[in-house]
Amino acid sequence: MGYVSGLKCRECGREYPVDPIYVCEFCFGPLEVVYDYKKIKKVLTRKSIEKRPKSLWRYKELLPIDGEPQVGLNSGFTPLIKADNLAKVLGVRELYVKDDTVAHPTLSFKDRVVAVALTKAKEFGFDTVACASTGNLAHSVSAHGAKAGFKRFVFIPATLEQSKITASLVYEPNLVAVDGNYDEVNRLCSEIANKYKWAFVNINIRPFYAEGSKTHGFEIIEQLGWKAPDNVVVPCASGSLLTKVWKSFKEFKEIGILKELETKVFAAQATGCSPISVAIKQGSDIIRPVRPNTLAKSLAIGNPADGFYAAQVVKETGGYGEDVSDDEIIEGMKLLAKTEGIFAETAGGVTVATAKKLIEQGKIGRNETTVVCITGNGLKTQEALAGRTAEMHHIKPNMDAFEEILKKIGR
Amino acid sequence: MKRRVKLTFPQQLIKEPIIFTMAKKYDVMPNIRRARVTDTVGEMVLELDGTEENIESGIKSIREQGVEVELIEGDIIE
Repeated sequence: MGYVSGLKCRECGREYPVDPIYVCEFCFGPLEVVYDYKKIKKVLTRKSIEKRPKSLWRYKELLPIDGEPQVGLNSGFTPLIKADNLAKVLGVRELYVKDDTVAHPTLSFKDRVVAVALTKAKEFGFDTVACASTGNLAHSVSAHGAKAGFKRFVFIPATLEQSKITASLVYEPNLVAVDGNYDEVNRLCSEIANKYKWAFVNINIRPFYAEGSKTHGFEIIEQLGWKAPDNVVVPCASGSLLTKVWKSFKEFKEIGILKELETKVFAAQATGCSPISVAIKQGSDIIRPVRPNTLAKSLAIGNPADGFYAAQVVKETGGYGEDVSDDEIIEGMKLLAKTEGIFAETAGGVTVATAKKLIEQGKIGRNETTVVCITGNGLKTQEALAGRTAEMHHIKPNMDAFEEILKKIGR
Repeated sequence: MKRRVKLTFPQQLIKEPIIFTMAKKYDVMPNIRRARVTDTVGEMVLELDGTEENIESGIKSIREQGVEVELIEGDIIE
């Protein structure tokens, strides 16, 4: 039996039954899953969670499913790494990296949201799942969908890099490359989603899909020893992850798992696509859409569906929003790799570089506990580093040549 | 047909009767559901009802005037 009491419009508060719907019929506001926390409080405790398998489903009462988990049984519970080397470079006392570069099965946090979306799609009785994606979401829907036995339609812009196409095609979904500019592809997919009775994970299943992001936040709390950090830095594309990390913290407080909650939530964006951080910095309630121009492709959402709500969370918690240039993103990726041994995709570079900036600005205190959310693996965006990494040493096959190099290195 | 859209108005267009003019000129019926306006920018969520051709022409015309027209779902390519 599930613990969901229904869906509710985030704008006007109108309530709806649990169906594959995503906007309010009256005000077109987005719908959000509502739970019966009184019931959950009786069954979900630190002890009951600790006894369960280490996957995102250990928090299942706070996820929008009715029955048992069906998809992504090994997803989630990624490491929370105490990043002492990075902390030293950035000049802070206590820093942690929530590391979704090793998410199962496709190495990004999308494995969390898709696990929840496809379990819900099964419960709704869909036989086909779909998404529109430039990378991480396509990989996760293709992989999770294969294991779960769904027919899969994955739409991509025809200009997508070959490496990203291959990483989806290997799972043999129906991969549809659409000619046309970004807006045209976006609109076509929206029309397809409205016409066909498929589980389009980030459209008609979106209220349920998005809830999967909460597990990133639940794990942070549990892995910190059932404590909330002073600060959390979250990368923003649609803004959904940030709102859900905050929702997860509040839910743990609501059901008594967390005693105190005074976390500040910070939004990280690339300057080339920064509608949310700009609105935060300007103190505006309106998110102005932009044309993305950044190498952080996985964050390049110019018209973010949850941008307003993300900005509200930042405001509510006393956090802030910042953005960083492409050069800073690369430096952020390299810094994380050489200090902590974690190779994150460009979005990870955004988060690390933004955290650095926020620390330098004094927005994040040097004596506080901070968590940075790293959402995807660097092997997916290797082209971003072409010509920007350290160089290798090329030698002839003899000892003299090798020792010449050793001298150069200074050993 | 009906299309749900989100419009963002820059400061210089906030006081202009953009929607009314489009509705009259292209025979498109706007049904406004939600709006937020600040000193510098306005946002409106509405449904447009009309023939596909008229809706397309109407959207093109307000875009040319400087209004940003986007999907109500936000960008869905993730």
